[in-house]
Amino acid sequence: MTKETPALNASTFYPGSDHAVLMLHGLSSSPLEMRHLARYLNSEGLTTCAPNLHGYSAGTPELRMEAWVAAAVREFDALSARYPRVSVCGLSMGATLALALVHERPTAQAIVLLSVTLDYDGWAMPWYRFLLGWAYYTPLRHRWRYHEEAPFGLRNEALRAKIGRAMQRNDLSEVGPSSISLPALHEASRLAASVKKSLAALKNDCLLIHAIDDETSSPRNAQFVAANVGSTVLRTIYLDDSYHMITSDNEREIVARETAVFLKESEAASSAEGGAKPVVSKALARRLRQMAAIGK
Amino acid sequence: MSALALCVASGVRLALHPFLGPVMPGVAFCIAAAMVEYFFGLIPSLTVMLLGLGIADFLFVPPYGQIAVIDRADIMLAISYPLVTLSTITLIERLRRSQFSTELIAAVALSRYEMLLRADNERALSRRAVDETHRLVRHLPHYHDAIILLQAVERSAEHGANEMAPGRLFANAHPDDIKRLQRGLQPGRHRVRMASGDGMHRLVECICERFTTHAGEFLILRRID
Repeated sequence: MTKETPALNASTFYPGSDHAVLMLHGLSSSPLEMRHLARYLNSEGLTTCAPNLHGYSAGTPELRMEAWVAAAVREFDALSARYPRVSVCGLSMGATLALALVHERPTAQAIVLLSVTLDYDGWAMPWYRFLLGWAYYTPLRHRWRYHEEAPFGLRNEALRAKIGRAMQRNDLSEVGPSSISLPALHEASRLAASVKKSLAALKNDCLLIHAIDDETSSPRNAQFVAANVGSTVLRTIYLDDSYHMITSDNEREIVARETAVFLKESEAASSAEGGAKPVVSKALARRLRQMAAIGK
Repeated sequence: MSALALCVASGVRLALHPFLGPVMPGVAFCIAAAMVEYFFGLIPSLTVMLLGLGIADFLFVPPYGQIAVIDRADIMLAISYPLVTLSTITLIERLRRSQFSTELIAAVALSRYEMLLRADNERALSRRAVDETHRLVRHLPHYHDAIILLQAVERSAEHGANEMAPGRLFANAHPDDIKRLQRGLQPGRHRVRMASGDGMHRLVECICERFTTHAGEFLILRRID
């Protein structure tokens, strides 16, 4: 029985410019995870929408991953009808869902992948995780749940203690649920498997941000996406003072700023007026030349 | 990959068997396990090691082709081969992990360097805008009497839709020239017909300068004295 209040998993929408950002939270979690980032992007002028997805978010009946993608597509279409530019930003399994969404809707302006999770292979994952795939086909399917434990994706100890207390009181906190069911994990694995096959077809501007000490999904996930995605504009940022929940941890300001900068640059570069910021820093120009030479 | 490594190691050891006989039956598999560990990781290398132990005992420890017979040679292999191979694999695994960790730290450093460069570019742009604003502030009073028109450049505006303000000499310029300039004023030198005292228009050399300020871009057309 869930104890969370309705306010914790309500959708959030902050109106701004004609560039909207659809923000997808992690597995069985809530839009609360994206609150800080959504507010920052909105303060930078962007419209942000962090929806509660039926069948995927906490507090809704668990559905198959096709229903997750369909719900995300509906939210994207609703934004596309109102805004000329829509980007997609996802955290954790939300990033994987964002990849599946952009595969369905390649018109998305840009995609931002925060702690992208294709495999739960971080250092804090239980050793028996490889058995969970088989456990799904046993009576354990409806009995066993994966329970979140410290560090809750947080390197910040003060915040970790606060989240620990919140998770004792509720089933949901601002960094995710206190437990995840086996069917949800199974569907997440199916989603990741389907996304891995379609990465090369993704051509949108792509920003990857991942912590090297991520305890849930190792940096190999980001490396896999970076190596296989078909985007011509790809920026990868690695963090060293955060764990999995990079939108709430020590470097959340860096994550927010870099996300805003990337989305604005993507918008400017694709605009008909060619509003991309000129490069006047000689050091940056040199670095861009180096990167272009490596890319040849 | 483990199967390929095992095949290659078995082939090499079989080729050397006429020369080596029962000496060092597990060396080829030890080298194979070490190489697989270096290139492909722990699990494949442990697979090579364990299967290599069985193959070495079966093919290269007398009596050949029999695994059920256990004598001193079998025990020597069962002790020395895993000991050496595991030690090698453990050391290589440690080095691989520290190499991976170092590469990640280097990736963090590179990310921070690139963030720094982008911030540096922002700072340089802001400084350029400040300098340009100062230049504009000095320019306006200095050439006050020679200015024909000022135009605000809007990136999104179509040609001719940019906002324009007249200067002191605006009324003296020929209306056709004003229309032409309104349609597409560009930085650089221009020739504009200006009214002289006798009511006639004469061609005058003018210059248009661009100012990129905080408030936007401006073009100022003035007469060259």
